[in-house]
Amino acid sequence: MVINVKNLVKRYGDLIALDHFNLAVQEGEILGLLGPNGSGKTTAINCILSLLKYDKGTIEIYDQPMSPEAYDIKRQIGVVMQNVAVFNELTVYENIDYFCGLYVSDKQTRKKLVAEAIDFVGLNDFTKFYPKKLSGGLLRRLNIACGIAHKPRLIILDEPTVAVDPQSRNNILEGILKLNRQGATIIYTSHYMEEVEQICSRIAIMDKGKIIAMGTNEDLKKMIKSGEHINLELLNPEHLDLSAIKALPHIISAELTDHQLVVKSSRGKNNLIMILDHLKDQNIGIGKIYSEPPTLNDVFLEITGKELRD
Amino acid sequence: MFLFNYRYRLKCIFKDRQMMFWTFLFPILLAILFNLAFSNLSSSDNFLKVNVAVVENAELDQNPAFTEALDGADDLFVVKYTTRAEADALLADNQIDGYIVFDPALNLVVNQSGLNQTIIRGFLDDFVQSSATITTIITANHAALHNGIIAGITSRSEYLKAVSASQSSPDSVVNYFYALIAMTCLYGGFLGVKEVVAIQADLSDVGARINLAPTNKLTVFLSSILAAATVQLLELIMLLAFLIGVLGISFGNQIGYIALTCVVGSLTGVTFGTCLGSIIKKGEGLKIGILIGSTMIMSFLAGMMSADIKYIVMTKAPILGYLNPANLITDSFYALYYYNTHTQFFTDILLLCGFTLFFSSVTYFVLRRQKYASL
Repeated sequence: MVINVKNLVKRYGDLIALDHFNLAVQEGEILGLLGPNGSGKTTAINCILSLLKYDKGTIEIYDQPMSPEAYDIKRQIGVVMQNVAVFNELTVYENIDYFCGLYVSDKQTRKKLVAEAIDFVGLNDFTKFYPKKLSGGLLRRLNIACGIAHKPRLIILDEPTVAVDPQSRNNILEGILKLNRQGATIIYTSHYMEEVEQICSRIAIMDKGKIIAMGTNEDLKKMIKSGEHINLELLNPEHLDLSAIKALPHIISAELTDHQLVVKSSRGKNNLIMILDHLKDQNIGIGKIYSEPPTLNDVFLEITGKELRD
Repeated sequence: MFLFNYRYRLKCIFKDRQMMFWTFLFPILLAILFNLAFSNLSSSDNFLKVNVAVVENAELDQNPAFTEALDGADDLFVVKYTTRAEADALLADNQIDGYIVFDPALNLVVNQSGLNQTIIRGFLDDFVQSSATITTIITANHAALHNGIIAGITSRSEYLKAVSASQSSPDSVVNYFYALIAMTCLYGGFLGVKEVVAIQADLSDVGARINLAPTNKLTVFLSSILAAATVQLLELIMLLAFLIGVLGISFGNQIGYIALTCVVGSLTGVTFGTCLGSIIKKGEGLKIGILIGSTMIMSFLAGMMSADIKYIVMTKAPILGYLNPANLITDSFYALYYYNTHTQFFTDILLLCGFTLFFSSVTYFVLRRQKYASL
């Protein structure tokens, strides 16, 4: 077990930031911690890393209790903070070398690791640049390089793509997958469900300091009643009997807006064919049709009654 | 780890332009301004000779003793022998403070009263009194002219001997520069604040990153503080070199003790900053504001803006002087410059060491915490 957190409680006065939080992370996986802002993701990470005091619970990393003095454990962890944490007075190379040097004392080894980290994040052309001269995307890449240069076994990335352009975001996500392929276990926190869906092998959804659902992307979507979202463009919607659509089996809801019919169905087979047959019987012409599988937002919505990005 | 961090912290400090301005260039600029403002202050204390004219006429020719006495007072007077008309003109143009004329009695003509006129008057009174005494003695005892009594009247004997406490002369101006050095030492607090912020997870993001590393936090902090003190000491040495070499400010010749004062002053300044930085939990701006404010107040009380303030503090509330690191640093330098003994110097240095220990202890008790209640 890479991380084992049991019954973690963290309070800020009357506010319970972590409410009997439990988490188990297996070697080699990419675990996504998904939740809206304020759900407790960063607090959980900071407690796991022994930066924050907590009121109750136990934290073990690589089967050893985690503490500020657990240097053997810390040596195996790399962290990419939510905020860019670099020295403005040092160049790209010097920043990576400094933070790598906190873990690796041998100069030759460090030189090799720093070169690999620079190569990994694609900052080869910017090694002599100072952070203030870098764009937001490049700065984020530097932040990542500073966190992973020492080749950790466990990498924790706390919302590393906040305020990053799409191209840099893709680079970062591809980089995380590459790190995982190289053997690193990864915990990735985000409130962007698309990112989590894209890279995580397992997802924990957090709300109000608790994990409310956990599993693979498919597992989570199976937990809810909602099936696909079927969108149909109707050529003669005036002939539609909406109540008849709603009365069909497995249909949760149906809404007509101008020519656009949106039907939410529960999990079941052949829902689309059933609806098409019904519309054909009613002599309603159909233009475009497309169907969407449920998203993590639907999962969150169904469990908590609110949108993930509320 | 210690040296690795030390080298990088030196780099960070030297490349922080804003920091280098306030801790290095600003004191040098202030020193130049002080020099411009105070350059005439010492010279204004020097005695300026009195300009006096003597009217040349027959009566003057008959009193060669007066001319001789006047020539003997060349450290008091600048004498111009002239006609009465020209003397009147010189007096009207304020080119002389007065003129002396035998008319036939000895007269002084002035157009205003003041110190210089009083000096001329005093000289004339002394001459008239001595002349009258000599005349009386010669009239009563003509032999006195030959047995040295007359010589005794004109000579002045000192019966008290002044022993100086110093080989240096008292100089109120150097105190301004010593107070400026004290301010520079305390500006080392900027470096102290920077180092504390860089290592505390609840004060900066890089601090959080450093706390996550498998390194002893106090080791990292001590090497950071050593880097800050090194920079501060170098800046102080360069300031001293500038004050001595360019502005010609005297510090005496006790180099070892001056170096000791610089080292202790630098440590006091840096630890003052670490103490403020660690106990004030608000933003860095507030820390810097409090640091500047307190440093300015301490420097003011140490006499940086007015030497009288330092005197008032030492006479009315001496305890304030002993509780003020800026005053202690100023006093240390002045004690080295002026006193022949080291009692005052070592008292100041010991008190400064006490302050350094106090600031370091407070910093340690705050920094030794390994986990934070909030970030």
